[in-house]
Amino acid sequence: MREYKIVVLGSGGVGKSALTVQFVQCIFVEKYDPTIEDSYRKQVEVDGQQCMLEILDTAGTEQFTAMRDLYMKNGQGFVLVYSITAQSTFNDLQDLREQILRVKDTDDVPMVLVGNKCDLEEERVVGKDLGKSLANQFNCAFMETSAKAKVNVNDIFYDLVRQINKKSPEKKQKKPKKSLCVLL
Amino acid sequence: MLTIGTLANIKHILQKELFNANGNSGSGERLLSVVTVTKTFKKKDKRACYLCVVSTAPPVPVVTLCLVKQSEQRESEYKRKRSWQLDEIKWIDGRNEQFETHEFDIQLEKLYKWYALNLHERQNFLAVLNRQIQKYVRGPHRAEFRNVPLAWLSEKSPEKLAAGRAGSAGNAVQKPHNSDDEDDEEEAQEFTALTDKEANELGKLFSECDFAIKDAEQFIEQLSKELHDLDGANMQSVLASEQKVLKMMEHIDNAITEADKFETRLDSYEDILGHVKETMEKIGGKNAMIEIANNNNIKLMRELNKVISQLDLPHSQQQALDDPDLKTASGRKAAITAAQCLQQAMNSDIDPTLLRLEAVQDQRKRFEKWKQKFSATVSRFLNNLFIHLGNEIGDMPLTSTELTLPNHSNVHRELTPYTELMHWSKAMDRKTYDGLMRVYTASLSKIYDRDVRNFFNLAKLQVSDKLRSSREDLDMSSSSRKSAVSTIPYGTLGINREQWGPGVDSADRVRFDALLEKVLAELEPIALQEQLFCINFFQMDVISPTTKNTQTTLEVGKDKDKGNEMSQSFNASMVSPTDGAAVPQKRLDRQINEDVRKLMMGLFGCLEPELVSFIQSFERVDSFYSLYVLVRLTQHVMSAQDTHSFLSMTFASALVQVKRNFDRFMQQQLQSIKEAKLPKRSKAILPYVENFENFAQTAEGIFRKSDRRTDMEKWYLQLVNAIFEGISMHSQEHPKTPSQVVRMENYHHMYALLAQLKVPGLDALKKEAKLRYNDALKAYVTQYFGRPLEKLNQFFEGVQQKVAQGVKETEISYQMAFSKQELRKVISQYPAREVKKGLENLYKKVDKHLCEEENLLQVVWHAMQEEFIAQYNYLEERIQKCYAGAMINLEFNIQDILAFFSDIARSH
Repeated sequence: MREYKIVVLGSGGVGKSALTVQFVQCIFVEKYDPTIEDSYRKQVEVDGQQCMLEILDTAGTEQFTAMRDLYMKNGQGFVLVYSITAQSTFNDLQDLREQILRVKDTDDVPMVLVGNKCDLEEERVVGKDLGKSLANQFNCAFMETSAKAKVNVNDIFYDLVRQINKKSPEKKQKKPKKSLCVLL
Repeated sequence: MLTIGTLANIKHILQKELFNANGNSGSGERLLSVVTVTKTFKKKDKRACYLCVVSTAPPVPVVTLCLVKQSEQRESEYKRKRSWQLDEIKWIDGRNEQFETHEFDIQLEKLYKWYALNLHERQNFLAVLNRQIQKYVRGPHRAEFRNVPLAWLSEKSPEKLAAGRAGSAGNAVQKPHNSDDEDDEEEAQEFTALTDKEANELGKLFSECDFAIKDAEQFIEQLSKELHDLDGANMQSVLASEQKVLKMMEHIDNAITEADKFETRLDSYEDILGHVKETMEKIGGKNAMIEIANNNNIKLMRELNKVISQLDLPHSQQQALDDPDLKTASGRKAAITAAQCLQQAMNSDIDPTLLRLEAVQDQRKRFEKWKQKFSATVSRFLNNLFIHLGNEIGDMPLTSTELTLPNHSNVHRELTPYTELMHWSKAMDRKTYDGLMRVYTASLSKIYDRDVRNFFNLAKLQVSDKLRSSREDLDMSSSSRKSAVSTIPYGTLGINREQWGPGVDSADRVRFDALLEKVLAELEPIALQEQLFCINFFQMDVISPTTKNTQTTLEVGKDKDKGNEMSQSFNASMVSPTDGAAVPQKRLDRQINEDVRKLMMGLFGCLEPELVSFIQSFERVDSFYSLYVLVRLTQHVMSAQDTHSFLSMTFASALVQVKRNFDRFMQQQLQSIKEAKLPKRSKAILPYVENFENFAQTAEGIFRKSDRRTDMEKWYLQLVNAIFEGISMHSQEHPKTPSQVVRMENYHHMYALLAQLKVPGLDALKKEAKLRYNDALKAYVTQYFGRPLEKLNQFFEGVQQKVAQGVKETEISYQMAFSKQELRKVISQYPAREVKKGLENLYKKVDKHLCEEENLLQVVWHAMQEEFIAQYNYLEERIQKCYAGAMINLEFNIQDILAFFSDIARSH
């Protein structure tokens, strides 16, 4: 079974853990506890293919930014999360993306831009069109989600798996060449 | 044909109706000649129209040719159709010199062909037109007359005179014409109306001579007499005036000569004035030039003054730069002042074009030289100072065995006076600045390296010290196991306690935790102090506005963005104008933080690996280390104010490592439960259930008040779930104990533990444990208590079958197999003594099944007693129902049963 290393990034308190836990365990975690780092494994079926997702839920708070390079190096697909109720979390993503491209040294990195907390429509400060245009600029998928109301949560990860499949189709495992005997 | 009379009439009418000054449409013009014509080129319109020569009133008579038509609606109304200026006439063609020719052409903007109705009119018209043209039109525009009799064009032709006489018959003009002018005058008077005054005079005259009407003769006579008198008087006055005229002529001649003289004088004056004017203009021009030159000079002067004052460096300062004394405070002060003046001079605000001045460039070169020399001196001095300070401290032996990081504020104190020089060299000589920064980092990092290593070594030593002291008693008691130190880490849930490697007790953990806290607390002020000093000393909160080595405005700029660079602020708190507002500020901050962090990384390069290694040193001692290190480190990381500082991020990175270790530890625990095997001499309580108590209490002790509870609770859930699964699985495999007992006792154990822990996240599992425990208890009782009155039970099962087949309960006793005799026989098999004996045996069996730790014997015994009573009650009820009135009873009653149970329980 193919493994997919997915990294969830974004500023503190945007709901990275809530989205991840909702996806992995189908629970909405109400309480906010800043994450240090949590990793989850979940097996899903995408387009008839069994996939093992290894999801790394990262810290959003600033102290941990030094770890990001490492996350980016190891990750195959990235979920960039902001909260539609906080402009600054949206603004931070630009740098995050640049960092990913820099670390990956390519323009084509499987990525999904996610505006979380879309159930809090009355507290919205980041318009959907803003999100769309940023995704356009990033040339990546975009969705508004709610971990609480379970809106679009699974789609994030499925979309990412498809992107990774598209970018790097699974290499057929070549049979190891048998070493030939050498006559001396 | 129109007659002359009608023609005259027409002329009169036109003058009156159209041209007269007093008329409505008139404009004070005078009709000089008119000819009645038809247009030969328009055959249809044979209506007559009038071609007139008209003159406006003197003094500036303008003569025009105009075409007048009679209105179609009203006969008496005439309209001026067109009019032309005389110079618009190109030529006039009379067609033929014969008098009898009616046609004539006039070339205007186009050719007009006319047919004159009256030949006399035509002649007169052409003559008058000619005369007017001769008089008013000059030059090449003068119209040409063709095919017109020459005689008509010369004024004194008899025809004209005749025509004139004939044409003006009945008019006042009857005198012969003498000259052109007179003729003109005559014509001018022709139609002059009587003025009011004249009319008055005339009226007066007539009134004086009112007799005249009666007697015309007398009136004529009187008039001629008066005329005669007047003639005479006139003659006389004429004669008398001749002398005066002559005299006047003389005067006039005199006046003329005087005027001539005067004129010549005026001419000469004008001549002179002309010269003066020219001169004045020249002078004016010169003055303006002088003023401009003067202004320019003033400006130049000002500009030069500015340049010179800005670029001037006093001699004393030159000296201070040439030979700075950086050792003494006063020398330093002078040097710093001079250096700052130099910096100011090299960044003076001078127009870029002026920079091309050789003097400015020369001065710049001089500045450059001073700068280089001074910079070299400063560099050398600070270089030596850094190395010296580094060595000085490095040579000091580390005397302290206390767990403290030495404070290097004395270095900072030594260096603080040179802060401004450092700032200067950052602005003026970037290379030197960078070099000095490297030297500083190298010298100080050596010290910090040594300090930090030493510090952590001490800390590690304290860990192992404690370990040794705590191990001693352990080793003594179990010296046999010492040789084969188990590889299984202490506290592994799935493994029996006896097989664990050495561990530490909670008191040790508290000490380790305190040690870690002390280490972290020691690091923080030292790092913070160094960071503050570096920011200040190396001016790191200011982003350099230029990439050039030296900030100067004096270089003749090739780079166009120089202005931009200069406008960028020297102060990081200000935002460069080219970018937006908030975002670049953030970016700027980030850049600063990045730089500071890099420097700190250079200074404390070994801190992170040492810290991680220190934390790992716990791992060897205590497998539970990751729990309290996680909690302790989280406190420091999450509570940090400057979340982006070097130390915060170093701690955070270590924290992530610890979190991973924590997760790994928990994963191992989970795995150990899943893989746990039952030992041969196993106890009733499974090892992981037993171990979980210790584990959970330890974990709770650590996490009780922590923010990281959630991390722990996540694992609790997984662990407890795994334990439940393990209990179910292992209960089947247990060699001696029945599975119900295993389940019952283990679930009971878990339930008791969870109830005691009071972890909110585990409430659901606590209920689950209770449920499973009760189920197991019930199953155990059902299985092992069974039915001590088995045959009675079977008897009544048979009864029930009959009842089910339709036999009435009251008629059961008539069935052979279920007669009262049969019942009595069965009952007699269960005397009270036998029953008690059976119960006693059961008790022994249960006692053997159950373990002492859980202390469930009484509970089970009580449950069995309940079960027995329930069975007893059922049988009694059946007997009463089916054999009512037969007076059949069991050989013991409920009181007996209770007594049996309590007796048995008491006797053991």
